[in-house]
Amino acid sequence: MTTTRPRDYIVPPDLQGRADRDRLWGVIRYAAAIYSGVARLGQHPPVQPVDRDLHVVIERKERVADGAVSLRLVAADGGPLPRWRPGCHLDVLLPSGRLRQYSLCGDPTDRSAYRIAVRRIEDGGGGSLEVHDTLRKGDELRVRGPRNAFPFLRSSRYLFIAGGIGITPILPMVRTAQLRGADWRLVYTGRTRDSLPFLDELHALCRGRVRVRADDEHGGLPDPADLLAGTPPDATVYCCGPPPLIEGVHRLLPVDRPFHYERFSPPPIVDGTPFEVELRGSGRVLPVPADRTALEVVREVLPDVAYSCQQGFCGTCRVRVLAGVVDHRDHVLTDDERAEEMTICVSRSRGGRIVLDL
Amino acid sequence: MAHPEHRADEVDEVVLHPRDVAFDWSKLPLHWVPGDPFATHVINVLHLLLPAGERWFVSVLKQALPLIRDEKIRSDVLGFIGQEAVHAEAHHSVLEHLPSQGLDPTPYTRQIEWFFERILGDRELTGKAAEEWLVERLAIIAAIEHVTAFLGQWVLDARALDEIGADPTMLDLLRWHGAEEVEHRSVAFDLYMHVDGRYLRRVRAMLVVAVVMSWLWARGVRFLMRTDPHLRGLIKPRWRDLRRTRRLGRTPGYLDVLRSLARYFRRSYHPSQEGSTEQAVAYLAVSPAARAAEHR
Repeated sequence: MTTTRPRDYIVPPDLQGRADRDRLWGVIRYAAAIYSGVARLGQHPPVQPVDRDLHVVIERKERVADGAVSLRLVAADGGPLPRWRPGCHLDVLLPSGRLRQYSLCGDPTDRSAYRIAVRRIEDGGGGSLEVHDTLRKGDELRVRGPRNAFPFLRSSRYLFIAGGIGITPILPMVRTAQLRGADWRLVYTGRTRDSLPFLDELHALCRGRVRVRADDEHGGLPDPADLLAGTPPDATVYCCGPPPLIEGVHRLLPVDRPFHYERFSPPPIVDGTPFEVELRGSGRVLPVPADRTALEVVREVLPDVAYSCQQGFCGTCRVRVLAGVVDHRDHVLTDDERAEEMTICVSRSRGGRIVLDL
Repeated sequence: MAHPEHRADEVDEVVLHPRDVAFDWSKLPLHWVPGDPFATHVINVLHLLLPAGERWFVSVLKQALPLIRDEKIRSDVLGFIGQEAVHAEAHHSVLEHLPSQGLDPTPYTRQIEWFFERILGDRELTGKAAEEWLVERLAIIAAIEHVTAFLGQWVLDARALDEIGADPTMLDLLRWHGAEEVEHRSVAFDLYMHVDGRYLRRVRAMLVVAVVMSWLWARGVRFLMRTDPHLRGLIKPRWRDLRRTRRLGRTPGYLDVLRSLARYFRRSYHPSQEGSTEQAVAYLAVSPAARAAEHR
C-alpha cells in the first residue's frame, strides 16, 4: 500500500495533465508547512490516567440451574452502580488474574446491584470453575464496564431465542420488552429443563409468551426451523446461545429481517502448531503455543500493539516480517504484501522462528 | 437527529467491531443516482477521498496508542481503527471499478494520496515536535469525524435516494459506512479530549478541516464531471446545483453543513449529542453487506 511509493516532497501533476506539478498544491504545501509549524508550538497537557475499575462485593451466590450459579454484586462502597442497558456485559477480573466477560442478567432499573450468571465448563479455560469453586459470598472483585456489545433496540414485536446460559443477556431484554408493553415471544432451548436458568423469573413475567424446548424431551438438538415455527414473521430477532444455534437461525431468516445476536470471541485456532516469535526491538523471543495467537502473546509484552478484528480481515495488526516462513491465514494482504508482512492475529509460522519488526 | 423523543431510552454507546463486508460492483451504473450525474458525483467524491484518508487515520491512530492511559478509550480506538481500515478497502473497491466505466480517477487520487502521506504525514519529525504534530492530527481526525457522523446520519435518513431508485449496492455501502460512522462518532473526540482537550486546538483543527474539505469536495466534483465519459465536460457543475439536489433530498445542502459545523464550536459539544446510535445499529442489523459479513 504505502511501502513502495517514493518518499519525496515532489508535488503531483495537475488534474488535466497540463503541468508536471499542480501549482495550487505547490502553494498549499507552503501553507501546510506553516500550519504544521504553528501546531507544534507549545505542549499538550500531560495525559491523565483514567481508572475505570469498579470494586464490587459478592452479596449473594446461588445455584440457578444444574451447573449454573448467579452472583449478585454490590458496590464495595455501598453506592449506586453505573447504569446499564439490556445486552450489556461486565469484564470481571478474577482473583487468579483471568479476565472474563459476563452478561448482566439482573434488573436494569436496579442501580443497587448487578447480577451475572456463570455456567460451569469443565474443559474450558478455568474461569467458570474459579467462579463456581472458589468465589464466595463477601469476596471482593474488580470489574470494568458495563459495556454494550449486544444493543437492544426499540421495536413493537420481538422474537427472543436463547440457548442455555445464552439466556443471560436475553433476560433483561425480555423484562424491558414486557415493561414497554411490546409483543414478545421467547424460545428457550437447552439440554434439559433443569439446566435452564431463570425459568421461574421468565414464567413470572408472562408464562404464555415463553416456549421451552429441552433436548431430552424432544430427542436431540433443535432444528432452527422448528425454533422459528409459529413465530411472528415481522418480529425483530434477538438470539444468544452456542454458535451453531446462531448460525442456524441466521441462515433461515430473510436478509431484511432485523437480526441481532451476541457476538462471540474470535473463532478457535484450527490446526495450530507451536512456534516462536522474536521481537526485533527488544530481542525477546516469545513462545506461541498451539492454542494461542501471536497477537495474544505479543500483547502481553507490548500492550500498545495495534489490532482490531482478530479474524484476519481488517489488516490493522500487520507487521513487517524480517525472517521466517509465514503460514498466511488472513484474507486482506496482497501477495506483494505477504512477501513482507503478516497479520499477527491469525497468521502463524510454517515452522521455526519468525522475527517481527516490533 | 432522529427520534429525539426517545433519546433518554435509546442505546447510546456500543462496543465497536469491524465488519468483514464485500461488495460486487459489476452491475453499478455510471450514474447510480439515476438521471442525476451531479448528485452521483457529489457523493462519489467520497470514494476519491476516503481510501487514502482512512488509511491515514489508521496510521495516525496506531501511533497514538502509546499515549492512551484509559483502557476504555484504548478498546474503542482499536475497534475504530479496524472499522476505518475496512471502510478504506470498501471505497477503494469502487475506485478500482471506475476505470471499467471509462472514468480514470488516478489524476485526482494521486494528489489525495500525496496530500495525506506527505502533507499530513509524519513530516520526518522526532521527539516533542513529532508528538505535538501527532496530537494536532488527532484534533484533525476528531473534526473530520464530526463531519463524517453528520454525513452518516444524513445518508441513513436519505429516503429520497431509495425513492429515485439509486443503486441498492451503493446505498448499502454508504449506509453501512454511515452507520459505523454514527456508531463510532465519539471515539476520535474522546481520544483528543483524553490526550489534550484544549479548545483552541480543537477549533483550529476544525477550521482547517472545513476549508480543506470544502475545497477538495468542490474540486472533486469538477474533476469527476469533467472526466465522466458521458458528460465529457459538457455539463459543468454550478454552485446552485447543490441547492437543487438538497431540495430533492439527494445531497445535504450548504446550510445543513454550516449548521452542523457551528455546533462543533460550542464548548459543551460532544458527539453523543449528534446522530442516533439506535438508528445506526438498526441499519447494521439489516444491511445486506453487514449481514453477509457475519458468517463468512
